[in-house]
Parts: sequence; C-alpha cells; structure tokens
Amino acid sequence: MSDARLLSVLIPAVGGQGGGVLLEWIVDAALADGLQVHGTSIPGVAQRTGSTTYYVELFTEPDSGAEPPAFSLYPVPGALDVLLAPEFLEIGRMIELGFPSPDRTTIIASTHRLYSIHEKIATGRGVYPIEDLHAAARAFSMTLYAFDALALAREHGTEANAVLLGALAGSGVLPIRVDAYRDAIRAKGVQVAANLRGFDAGLAVATQLRGPAEAGAGSSARNGTRSEPAPASAGPQTAAAADPALEQRMAEFPAELRPTLETAIARLVDYQDRRYVERYLERLRPFAGDPELARVVARHLAVWMTYEDAIRVAQLKTRASRFERIRREKGALRGEIVVTDFLKPDLDEIYGILPHRLVAPFARWAERRWPHGRPAFGQHVKTTTVLGYLRVWMLTLLRPLRPISHRAHEEHARMDQWLTALARCAGWDKALALEVARGAQLVKGYGDVRRRMRAHLDRLLASVLRAAECEGANGGGFEASRELAARYRVLVLQGPDGEARAAALAERVLTRLAAADRAGALAALAEA
Amino acid sequence: MGERSFAEDVKQLGYGAGEILRGEGILAITKALLQSGVSYVGGYPGAPVSYLIDVLADANEPLLKPLGIYFEQSGSEAAAAALLGASINYPARGAVTWKSVVGTNVASDALSHVASAGVIGGAVVVIGEDYGEGASILQERTHSTALKSSLPLLDPRNSLESFARFVEEGFGLSEACHQPVLFSIRIRACHMRGTLRCRDNARPKISMLTPLGEPSFSLERINLPPFTYQMEAQKFEKRLPAAQRYIVEHGLNEHHRGDEPDVGIVMQGGLWNTTLRGLHVLGLADTRGRTAIPLLVLNAIHPLVPDELVGFLRGKRRVLVVEEGMPNYIERELGALAHDARLDVEIHGKNVFSPHGEYVPQLVIGGLRRFLTAGGLTSRSATEIDARYAALTAHRTRVRSVLPQPVAKRPPSFCTGCPERPVFSALKILRQREPAVGDTHVAADIGCSTFSTQAPFNVGNSVLGYGMGLASSSAVAPLFGKRTVAVMGDGGFWHNGLTNGVANAMYNRQDSVLVILDNFYAAATGQHHVPSTGTNARNETVRMGIPDALRGLGVKWIRTVNSYRIAEVIRTLREALTTRVPGLKVIIARNECMLERQRREKPRVRQAIAAGAEVVQPRFGVDPDVCTGDHSCMRLNGCPSLTLRENPDPLREDPIAHVDETCVGCGVCGEVAHAAVLCPSFYEVNVIANPTRWTRFVARVRRAVIGRLAAVTA
Repeated sequence: MSDARLLSVLIPAVGGQGGGVLLEWIVDAALADGLQVHGTSIPGVAQRTGSTTYYVELFTEPDSGAEPPAFSLYPVPGALDVLLAPEFLEIGRMIELGFPSPDRTTIIASTHRLYSIHEKIATGRGVYPIEDLHAAARAFSMTLYAFDALALAREHGTEANAVLLGALAGSGVLPIRVDAYRDAIRAKGVQVAANLRGFDAGLAVATQLRGPAEAGAGSSARNGTRSEPAPASAGPQTAAAADPALEQRMAEFPAELRPTLETAIARLVDYQDRRYVERYLERLRPFAGDPELARVVARHLAVWMTYEDAIRVAQLKTRASRFERIRREKGALRGEIVVTDFLKPDLDEIYGILPHRLVAPFARWAERRWPHGRPAFGQHVKTTTVLGYLRVWMLTLLRPLRPISHRAHEEHARMDQWLTALARCAGWDKALALEVARGAQLVKGYGDVRRRMRAHLDRLLASVLRAAECEGANGGGFEASRELAARYRVLVLQGPDGEARAAALAERVLTRLAAADRAGALAALAEA
Repeated sequence: MGERSFAEDVKQLGYGAGEILRGEGILAITKALLQSGVSYVGGYPGAPVSYLIDVLADANEPLLKPLGIYFEQSGSEAAAAALLGASINYPARGAVTWKSVVGTNVASDALSHVASAGVIGGAVVVIGEDYGEGASILQERTHSTALKSSLPLLDPRNSLESFARFVEEGFGLSEACHQPVLFSIRIRACHMRGTLRCRDNARPKISMLTPLGEPSFSLERINLPPFTYQMEAQKFEKRLPAAQRYIVEHGLNEHHRGDEPDVGIVMQGGLWNTTLRGLHVLGLADTRGRTAIPLLVLNAIHPLVPDELVGFLRGKRRVLVVEEGMPNYIERELGALAHDARLDVEIHGKNVFSPHGEYVPQLVIGGLRRFLTAGGLTSRSATEIDARYAALTAHRTRVRSVLPQPVAKRPPSFCTGCPERPVFSALKILRQREPAVGDTHVAADIGCSTFSTQAPFNVGNSVLGYGMGLASSSAVAPLFGKRTVAVMGDGGFWHNGLTNGVANAMYNRQDSVLVILDNFYAAATGQHHVPSTGTNARNETVRMGIPDALRGLGVKWIRTVNSYRIAEVIRTLREALTTRVPGLKVIIARNECMLERQRREKPRVRQAIAAGAEVVQPRFGVDPDVCTGDHSCMRLNGCPSLTLRENPDPLREDPIAHVDETCVGCGVCGEVAHAAVLCPSFYEVNVIANPTRWTRFVARVRRAVIGRLAAVTA
C-alpha cells in the first residue's frame, strides 16, 4: 500500500484557455507510454471564462491485467503531485482550497494574469496582489516552476497550454517520455507546428530552471518570473529641463522630487507651454518643504493640469507615434492598418474648449437644463485617412486658446480649491495633508464619469475640512479626519457601490464629530 | 455542429469485439447503447450529457442509419421521455438522455406515464446528474423521482468498463421488470477519459430497416382507470420484486467481505472511487481499491434488496453509509431494516458527513476519519489514521498567512465577442441613464444569458427555469404597474418559452416586453441546433422561424435588432417599454454565437493568410494615454478581451483598460463607449494582412500627408 504508484495532476484553468486540450495531451502521452491513466473535467457552460479544473491520475505500474487502479474523479487536498496552472490567480485559488502541499506538490505555473471581472470593475486598483501569489506559490510547493508561459506562447504563435505541456515534460515529474508528449500533439492534429514550437520553448525553460536547482540541492524554488513590460507611452518623455531657467527653478525643490518633476514638466510643455510649467511650479512651491507631500502633490497636480480636454485628446490621437504603436500592438508590422476612432464629446466637452467669457452663460443654462447626461455627439472618425485625420488634427490648433477656455476656468478653479484645502490641512497635520493630496486620484474619466468623480473630491474635501475643524476645536489630533480622507478615497475607488458607502460614511463620521463623539467616529471608520 | 468534432469518436463507436476504445465516459455509454441493440435513441442536450447527443448526431449517417436506428434530438426532455412510449407496446429497446434534475422535472409527465404503463422493450434513461462542483443548475437529486415512479435507478462505479456494463444490464433489468431504468452519471464522470474493451454492436431486431408489422393495442396499457390501479399494484407486486431478483441474480451490487469483523461501509456505486481514495489516503486501502474493511457497493440504489442489506449488516457493530444528497433514503432504509431484523448495529452517515452538498474528497475523508477512529479497527489504530489525516491537512492552517486577502472570484461569463452580452450592456445603460424607463424588473432565463445576473451587469431579478422567464414575470408586471422585461435565449424559446411563455402571455393579455436572444443555437450546451438554426441534429433542412412562430400566436409588436448595435438595442427597448401599444412586445436580438462563428472563421482566415490573400481583420484597442483608468467601460461591457494593464504613465497609479490579442473585433467596446458616453479611448483598427499593391499605395500616400501634418504640431 504505497502512494508511489499513483501520480496526480491538477490543472486549474480559466474557461477558454485550452485546459481540456492540455489534459488530453497528457492522457494521450501517458497512454502512448503504456501507463494506466484517467482524466476528468467539468463540461459545458459552467466553465465559460470562469474558473474550471481538469484532473489527471497516472498509475505508474504497467497494466498487468490485475485489478484496475481505483482512480478518483477529484483531486484530494494535500495529496497532489503536480499543479499545472495556465494562469496565476488560479494558483491562489487552489492554495486556498488546500490542494498543493509543500511536502509533495510540484507547481508549474504561468505567471501571467487573466483578470477576473471583480478585479476589473473597481474604479481604482482592484488587482489581486501578485507578490502574494508568488509568495504563496513558493510556500505551498515542494518545487516551483514559475514563468510567463503566455508571453512565450505568443512568441511562438501558440497558446500557454502547449508551453506548459513542455514545462511539464521538462520538469520530469511524470514518468512520460518527452517524445510521447510530442506524439500526442501530433496525434491531436490541431496547430501541430505551432504547438510543437511552444512545447519545445516550455521544455527548454523547465530544463534550464531545473538544471541549476538540481545542482544546488538546497534551493527548491525555480522561479523564472519575468516582469511584464509596460507599453511605451506616446508622449515625449525627454525632459524639457535641459532649459537652464527651468533647471534653476527645479533646484528650489528637494532632490528626491527630481524624477517626478522632470516627467511632469515634459508633460506640461507637451500639453501647453513653458508658462504653464511656471504656473505648475508656482502652485507646488508651498509644499516644497515636505518632500513626501510635495511628491504626491507634484504627481497629481501634473496629471490634473494636463486634463484631457478635446484638444488634448486630438493631440494624442494624431501623433505619428500613435499609429506606429497600434501597428506594433496589433501585430500589423508587415500589414496595413485603418484606424477608426470612436469619439463622442458631450456638450461640456464641446463648449469647454471655447472662451469662458463667451460660453459661461450658456454653460450655466446647460447645466441646469441637463443635470445628468448632457447631449453628446457621436462620430466615427477614420484617422488614418487624410480627411479623417484633418478633422481631429484641426482641433489641436486650438491649443493657444486653451488658457482662456471655459474648461480651463473650471478645472483650475477646482485645482485651487484642492490646493487651498491642502495648505490648510498641512498647517494642521502633515499626515492629514498627505491623505487629502491623495484624494486627487479621484479626478479621472470623461463626461459624466468625471463630473461624478470630481463631485466626490468636492465632497471629500468639504467633509474632511469640517471633520478637521471639529477635531481641531476639541484638540487631540486629526486621526478621524485623516482616516476619513483615506477611507473615502478607497471606497470610491472600489466602484459605484463603494461610492454610496463613502458618502454614507462621511455623513456618519461628521454627525459623530459634531456631537464631539470622536470615539464613535473612529468606530464608524474602523467598520467601513 | 457541436463544440468539438467527433469524427474520431464516431470511428471508435464502430469498433468490434476486443478493440480498445479510448475516450470519455459518455462515449463508453454511447458505445454500450449500440452494443445493446437499441432501436431508437434521443434526448435533449444539457451538460453533462450534451456530448452524447453530439456523438449520436455525428454517428447518425455512418453508424445509426446503416443499423436502422432512429435518432432524434428531441424538442425538450418531455418529448424525449415520450419517445420511450415506443417501448410500451413494442419489444424495441430504446434510450434517451437529459440533464437532471431539471430535465427530469420537464420530463416527469411523460416519464410517469411510461412508468405506470410499463414497457416490454428495454428502456433506459441516461441521467446526467448536474450536482456539485461545476453544476449550472439548482441542487436537487433525482433519487426521489425514481422512488415515486418506481423506476430502478443505477448509480454505477466510475470507470468506462463499469458504465458500459451497467448500460447493458440496464436494458436487461428494464426488460426483466418491465419498467424504464434510470442510469445516473455524475458530472466529472461524463468527461472522464479512460479505456473500454469493446464488444460488437448489435443490430436491433426492430428497426427502420426491419419495421414493425401492425399496431399493438391493449387497454391494459392505457393510463385510465381501472387499469391505472392495476398498474400501481403491479409495480409493487411484480415489477419491483422482479427488479430485485435481477439485481441479485446478476450481481449488480458488489459485496467485499474484508477482514474487519465489526465495521462496514455501504456506498452508492458512484461514490466508490472517492470513498476508496479516502480509505487509501488514510492508509486503509491500496491504490487498486483493496481494503480490509467490508464494503457493500450499491450500483443499483433503487430498488434496494432487503436481504442483501440485512446480510451485510448482520454481525457488524457499526456501519457507515456514504450517500450523497438529502433525503438520505438508503441510510434510513438501513436503519429501518436493522430495527425490523432486531440487529444491534449502529448506522452512521449524515452524522459524520455533511447532510448536503457533493461528496468531494475532503468531505468524505473527514467523515471516514470520524467514523473509523471512533469505533476502533483491528487493522489500524486511531492514532495512525489521525496522523495520516494531519499530514494531509496541516498545511491548510497556513493559507491565510500567505494569502491574507481572499482570492478574487471568477464566475463564468459571456465569451469574447458574445452577441448576447451587448444586450445586457444596453439594459444596464438604459437602467442607469434613464431609470424611469429602464429600471424595471427583469426576468432572466436559463442558458448563457443567465450570466447577466453576475458582475458586471447584475441584470436579472429572477431565474426560474428553462424558457420560463416570461411566465415568471406574469404577476410581477401587474403588481408593479410597470412593464417588465423578460429575457430568454432561442433555446429556451423553443423548449418551453413559446407555449408557457408567449402563448400564456398572449392568452392573458399581458403588457410586457420579451427579449429573445437569437444566436442560432442552444449555445450554453455547446451550440446544439434549435428549430430556428436552419437544420436539425441530423443535418436535415428545417424551416422554422421565431418571428413566424410569434406571429402565429398573434404577437403584433415584433422588432428584430442587431444585438451588437447597442444604441439600436437601447432605442428599441425604450420604445417597447414606453409605446402606447398594449400587449406583449417582442424584441429579437440576433447574431450568431461567436464561439461557433470563430470555430468556422478562424481556420478560414488562417488559410487565406497563408495563401497570401489580402485579409482584413477588425480589432479593437485603447489608447493608453487617453484612458484615465476609471474602468467604467468594464462595468458596462464585461468582455474577457477587455482587460487591464499597468499604467504606462509614471504619474498615474491605477491600471488602464486594454484590449488583448484575443479580441475578435465585434465592436462592442466602441458601441458601449458611445452609447454610455464614456470616453474617446477606444479605436477600431482594421488589420490588413497581405495588403495588395493598391492598398499599400493608398496607405503610403495617406501616411505621407499625415506625417507632414503631425510634424507641424509635434
């Protein structure tokens, strides 16, 4: 009675990733090598784009005509030999369910992520912390092979499953010959050449990862993680700070701010002009004394001051580098592309670019007339045709008028509001000011979304200032105000449900503080 | 048709004696049907047994027809159950299949009638028990149906050999007791890959090639009094006793004597694998399932054979029953038998396992340990068993220390490019932007479209059965004083929606809105044909149209929309919800299931590109510097290819939207951005592979002009 003759492989996949094919390859390869094997999966709609698992059991003794093995349809938590994961979050799910065990399991995983809908719909960052997944994979495996199989697959024109099959073969955890896997791919008869290339790539990675670890017997983690390259930005990133005058101005700020300032200045020059940079630095100066606060303000202020009005959108959409990026990203380097832009400016965005004095009365009327969902003008513009390009490009010519535009008037007034609140808070409590500065993260989106998010910042500022006044009057620190600023922002960034909760929380905290019940306010915050 | 090609499988179905079939559980069952000499087969597709219909459909021309076997994909499970009517009067063997418990519910009327009249030809129902992990329906077991209708119920051990044997025994059993037999198979077992040593296919005695002579009439087989009383009596006096005799004589249940004198385990055959694995990891069985503990494996769980059970209980002190689902009929029966026989034996079961839920290994192992350590075995000490258990589970206490946050859920959802998804985008946008019109009760239905109730849409206030959406909102609209929306797929429409939904609504003069998602197939089960597909499962042309059917029932207000045109869908929904026209208003949102379309298109495009032809492929993208990362599009769209990536902007922190390379260019991202007035970040790009000289020339001229202009403002 020993386990040694039975090996189990669990494949936690995302529906549509080809986990079923991966299972069939393994089963077919094992059969070809004369092993008794069985595999199970979950069919049908239950797996469409959702978490799904495939499971293989191998009996390593050749079929002797004796009683057949008692195969299990399900993996047993803690008694798993191989966890073969075509996606990295699913590793976490399997660990949560107790399947891999550090005493027994080899984890072979692709580190790329397919985000779940719940990670995607947060207004801010809802992505599950990848470091936690890496740490868990290390902690819950006897041996770990982790690398980006999808990236490797794409290089070879195939899918992650073929690469992982190669890695499984390379890991040597199953008593199946490498050629038996190759034969299984050939026998399946689908995309054979590409899948074989992917298989060999995965095989090479695993063999290579296995080599050194095998030599140094102590270490067991074979972590070949590669980090995802961020796409190159279209904007000119070269610092405009070659300018000696600007160089001098920058010297007025703490040195650790320099990288942020260089990026910010380049962006502001690209957006408007040198004078605009002066205005930026002027606004930033009051915070220069505190490098931590200054860096946060510098970042958010630069983003806010380069708000995406129609002129900015036109500028970004008509850059030559943009079309190059699209060709690269969409795999059209050798082909041609025709780009159609989906533009739908609403009334605000249209009169926003006109001079404030001219349109202010109209804007006031329009805001009353359409409190939500202003009329919008949808158009599909083919920006790779001359006429289509011209239509968008012409807008960029309005850039010199931007400083007197209605939108500029509105946006800068709000920025000033934020900066004033910041200055007040900085006078009270440094940490409070830092949280309020971070609040500017809420200002994003277009049209109704941006108006809604801006209103949240308004509310955050108003609530936090009132809270701080209450706390200030009673003495004894600004803990509740600070916490309110942080919680409010975090809740709003969780999405629409969080927005309602944030508003309710502000209400509750203020009521408590007004009643001089600081403990109650803190309790409400701790609950939220 | 179908999600996969079954050419290889069909070939294996033709195997003769001694050949080794390699494939899934369902394939072994299908092969066993042919080995049993069936005259007719049918069923309604539904996971986990939809694959049976697929294979049969593909096997129809090469295999079934030459044997004279009649095959149909029935209109519903009720029609499939009624198909068994052929075995009431004629000695023809037949089999049908459906997913249970929902399919059994739909089939109940016909099934009860067949069960009452009895059969003279063997009749087997292959039940796909959609219970536990991976199930897509409400959680009930089929056991009670077997009890109430006196249907023998087989729940065999999980291996291809076992499935094949019990299908064949099923026919024998059915003929011995004159009752249809239920053959139940679990989800994972359906797609369990293994091997089967085949026998020759049997040519049916009655078939389309050797037809019946004359109709058989017997008043005794008509479900009318007084014969119904007689039938009821026969069930208990003749048919079930005959079944019990067959079960014993053919050794359907397995009794392993073992060496342990005091204890024993009784289990459903389908749980044998999990139970034996449990014993194995606790050190009480080897990998071939040999154990010292006495076992009674009930491959037939109805009718139970009292002598067999009492024989097993006799002399034991403690017996464990491994029985999935509630009520625990077997455990109770054992308790009653032990009592009647005055045996001094403790019966355990639900008290050591969970009373409900699928019996997965961790649950079974926990229960086995509780049972086995409490009473004392002779072959293993409780300490040894506990040590084994601890070794399996010790690491689990450390999970939260490395994964402090619960792992994000990943519910199933609509596929990339799905034509149903944009309809729910439209419903959500209408609800958000015009709550007075769009914020109403939405009755969802069964099928892929049920995913609308999940994130990001959360559209659909109730789900009530296949094709039942419209009927389920009958009382809601009048109580609201507002029109409601019912959504159903084309599959649901033909299955039950036409009669119980539309006819019922017309008859009761309901003033509400029905949206039919017409994607040409029953997509959820794997693109099975529906009456409006254009062909049936046998690939014969069928001309049945949804609009014709609606008009036939008197529906006047019918609009057909392209489901990808979200603005159009919103406009039509608004019209339906606000028009003065009374009565039922039906919107048919059409477009082919993208999975099926891509299955056809992808190889074609690949070939064309390889052949050097100019191919235009639409794709979507997001300008990373225009996107501000508020993810509003995600909350209204939900396409798997619309995802996140790190913000390239060092000044911003939130990830931005990104359309990955799995995009099929359906255009919904752009449509959503437009309809909800989100942002200008989305663009469509037609990627032209192998551009012709002319295409390249035009592109070059455009690039030259655009380059100049871009240089001016750069």
